[in-house]
Amino acid sequence: MQLPDSNIALRNLSAIIDFSNNINSNLNLEFALNNLLLTCFGKLKITKGFIALFNDEDELKINLSKGFKSEIFDTFPHVINGKVGIEIFNSYMSANKFGLVKEIVFSDQLLGFLVLGEKLSKEDFSEEDNQFISTVMQIGSAAIRNVQSFEKLSNVNKVLDSKINQLNSIFDLGKEFSSILEIERVSKLLVYSISAQMLVSKYAIVIFNENSNLILESKYEESKLNEIMSSEEINSINSAILLNENNTFCRNCSELGIALIVPMMIKKVKKGLIFLGSRITKNQYSKSDIEYISSIASFAIISIENSRLFDEALEKQKLEKDLEIARSIQQNLLPKKLPKSSVYQIDAVNKTAKMVGGDYFDIVEISKNEILIAIADVSGKGIQASLLMANLQAFLKSIYKQNYKLQEASNFLNDLVSENTTNGSFITFFWGILNLENKQFTYVNMGHNPPLLIRDKKITKLKKGGMILGVMKTVIPYEYETVELKSNDAIILFTDGVTEAMNINNEEYGDERLENLCLQNSENEAKSILKKILADVELHTKGANQSDDITSLILKIN
Amino acid sequence: MAEFDVGKHGVGPISILNVKGYLDAHTAPELENAFNSLINDKQYKVVVNFRDLKYISSAGLGVFMAYVETMRENNGDIKFCGLKDDVFNIFDLLGFPLLYEFYKEEKEAIDKFNQG
Repeated sequence: MQLPDSNIALRNLSAIIDFSNNINSNLNLEFALNNLLLTCFGKLKITKGFIALFNDEDELKINLSKGFKSEIFDTFPHVINGKVGIEIFNSYMSANKFGLVKEIVFSDQLLGFLVLGEKLSKEDFSEEDNQFISTVMQIGSAAIRNVQSFEKLSNVNKVLDSKINQLNSIFDLGKEFSSILEIERVSKLLVYSISAQMLVSKYAIVIFNENSNLILESKYEESKLNEIMSSEEINSINSAILLNENNTFCRNCSELGIALIVPMMIKKVKKGLIFLGSRITKNQYSKSDIEYISSIASFAIISIENSRLFDEALEKQKLEKDLEIARSIQQNLLPKKLPKSSVYQIDAVNKTAKMVGGDYFDIVEISKNEILIAIADVSGKGIQASLLMANLQAFLKSIYKQNYKLQEASNFLNDLVSENTTNGSFITFFWGILNLENKQFTYVNMGHNPPLLIRDKKITKLKKGGMILGVMKTVIPYEYETVELKSNDAIILFTDGVTEAMNINNEEYGDERLENLCLQNSENEAKSILKKILADVELHTKGANQSDDITSLILKIN
Repeated sequence: MAEFDVGKHGVGPISILNVKGYLDAHTAPELENAFNSLINDKQYKVVVNFRDLKYISSAGLGVFMAYVETMRENNGDIKFCGLKDDVFNIFDLLGFPLLYEFYKEEKEAIDKFNQG
């Protein structure tokens, strides 16, 4: 039955109004295209059709298809708007014998194509059909354009939102990192922020210490991570590196599924690395993501560095406190005043180095007729040396009160020190007793720099004795020697802090220079000889740091 | 200022964490403590109620990332409920709905645990 023309027009019109109302009611592309296709299907009795639109990259992509078997899209050509593939597209279209192909155009801009299959009735498309489709397409193309703009805008908004979110995160961390934090805390906050922002659950943070790597956080096996850290490629990293599945950059990294490596830099120096696995969303890390990670990484590493410097300063302060204690122990062990006698003169000095060595000397009037002098250099520095020195002094004081002969006392002293020292400490030690009546000087040298006996411009070194004190218990008894001192004899005792005093060129003061100086000045008083020695050593070491204690003791017979 | 607070109570085998105020890098440790004590007590089924949360930063979000694996490895989970729109938007923006379940009402989250 043939319908009157006016009825056809009315039906077309109502379909168009219906379509127009619908398509503009929803800002969803799929909905709009669906509506467009279904309206054509319904009005023209068609069962197959698809819509292909150019995407943001101007590539033609099928957005919606109905009724066609998917195989026919296997050969769908790659078309770029206004550039390539339009001939292939045309031949694809004619090869597949589609019923109708219409360009979707909005104000001279080609948005894509509407492709329809044959009519169910196998009839050709009539003039009216064509007109209907044209009208629908005009309304449809405007709607498509609207939706596309809206989607583009909401994508831009989303990108902006996530940028704002990243900035907030940077701001949040920056605030937190600006105060001194424990390193563990900093790395925790860092991984919290990254794992949330990037939605990544596998990560590791490694920082470089002076000669080792410190793994702060790791969701990977540590041995594997260490293997990676020792590889050449990792050493060469100076900027963020994206790894895809078939990269050849770092095989071990791909095995662990590491997708991104970001160095943590301070002033262009690499201080650590952040390893990240792939994102749960399967999205690639974008340039802006990497920028974000790099920014908070540099905040974090500065905070870590600060924390480390803070700890170091604290440690140094503690050490200095230790040294102060050591120095005061040491000073308290030394005799407060020197004895005076008509038979001899004595003078001594102990200049402690910054690091506090273990020099010690003592002068004790054992009886009316006897005076004991001792000089020692305890191994080690700081508190440990001071405590050993205090022990030595205690042993010394208890032994000489027992009235042992010096040789026996030496054997006994060595046993005591050996028993009471640990981890290889030892003492170079020299002691001697001067009898004021007969001026006999009996001494034992236990590995100490031999004191110089100067008589008539000649030097005799006082070497008799035995092993260094405290190395092992006495097996071979110490030897002793007694020298008859004469008027004007001088004995110069010193520690290696004198002969090994360094100048700015790291040259030692030396035994020879000391011996020559003493020979030249042996006629002088004890006090003056000591002054000369100190002045000459000072001259030598001018501008250099004192590296060891300097101790010297001069005994001069009147 | 009282920036952040986390309250804890149990509903049967399920633990409810009520988070309040501002959750950021500074306050994140308090939430960590709450999760650590849950793990100590072997409480792995957790519903976090965001009804009173005003702001969350990435570091705060990261805490949930840090603990979710432990909970799931022990047949538990962390489920979220009661998020205000602006707080949910942040979760949504970062893709959290891919990984976590979100509910409007606390009861829905609890029911989900009880069904499972």
